[in-house]
Amino acid sequence: MKALILGAAAAALLHITPTVTLVDRSEVVSRLLAGADRFTAREVHLTSSDERRLHDAAGWTPPDDVITFYLGKRADQVEGVLVFMRVDSPHGPMEVAVGFDKAGAIRGVEVTKATVETKPWIVEALRAGLTSQYRGLAVGATPAAAGTVKGKVGTMAEYMAELIDRGVTHAGAAYRLFYR
Amino acid sequence: MLYDLRHSDARVRWLVTLLLATLGVAYVFGAWMVGMYAGFTPRSVAATYVEPSMMNMAMPAETTMVVEHDVTPAEMGREPQHQVDGALLIQDTHVHVPMYGVIAAMLSIVVLGLAIPRWMGFALITLLFAAPWLDFMGMWLTKLVSPHFAVVTLAGGWAMGLGYTIVAALAFWRMWRPEKGAHQ
Repeated sequence: MKALILGAAAAALLHITPTVTLVDRSEVVSRLLAGADRFTAREVHLTSSDERRLHDAAGWTPPDDVITFYLGKRADQVEGVLVFMRVDSPHGPMEVAVGFDKAGAIRGVEVTKATVETKPWIVEALRAGLTSQYRGLAVGATPAAAGTVKGKVGTMAEYMAELIDRGVTHAGAAYRLFYR
Repeated sequence: MLYDLRHSDARVRWLVTLLLATLGVAYVFGAWMVGMYAGFTPRSVAATYVEPSMMNMAMPAETTMVVEHDVTPAEMGREPQHQVDGALLIQDTHVHVPMYGVIAAMLSIVVLGLAIPRWMGFALITLLFAAPWLDFMGMWLTKLVSPHFAVVTLAGGWAMGLGYTIVAALAFWRMWRPEKGAHQ
């Protein structure tokens, strides 16, 4: 009986709640690739050695070894680049959109997807001004926006902020190593 | 006929009615979920079960490859295709097949209480069990042999819906059809 109760408790704790959309991807495209009138998807299929290089740089490997950069162009000139990053946690996945400007600095970061459970924590972190900390960050710089909301939000919101930092780090490493 | 659903105890008919209603709700939401994740066309089903590395040409191991193509904002906003890899399909098969077996058995017990010809009973029971077999056989063949086997999965899904609809329609009619001359 005890094992049954423990099992049920473990199942409840490990259960991942359904995904919710915080911002539509199309809205993110219009904001983070503003001014572009043509879009190109650049899919980078990594070899195992490049995959290792990315893992060494950011502690992350992309699903199916493919990174997709969305390029926003105007008059055939690249205006900006957008990457959608999935970040996994024991509470379910979230999706972070990271936009880069022409110079390679971060133009903006938005969280597009969360789960029913994580949404309130993420919203709390966002309301504390988390994503504004990324604006203008150089591509090689280590994101540390989570530190700026520490103490202003609850523990779980702080944890979500760290995960968002991680997503931005992954996007930055992918951009630095395989876009430029 | 092993028992007659029409003349069975009212509690049995009530049980069967609630069972069929519950399964009906489950099937509606099942179809909704399939629409969300795998779709109802052979192409979308194949894209769900055949992993990209299997659909594309083998990659040269020493070169990272870059592919560029124009996209519209709508395409960028589109959800990535849901993928079921080998590990997830093993888990899905392990979880779903026993449950499908139990559901097929319960619906078959309902069939046994219907006043239908013997051959029709055999046919319905075969259909109820064949549907999940086709469904999962199609998924595995799509993954391991050819994307063309996606039609087998689709056939399995439709067969499941058809089997349930026939059994539910016959059972409801048989159980709750007014007796001739009951009000005379």
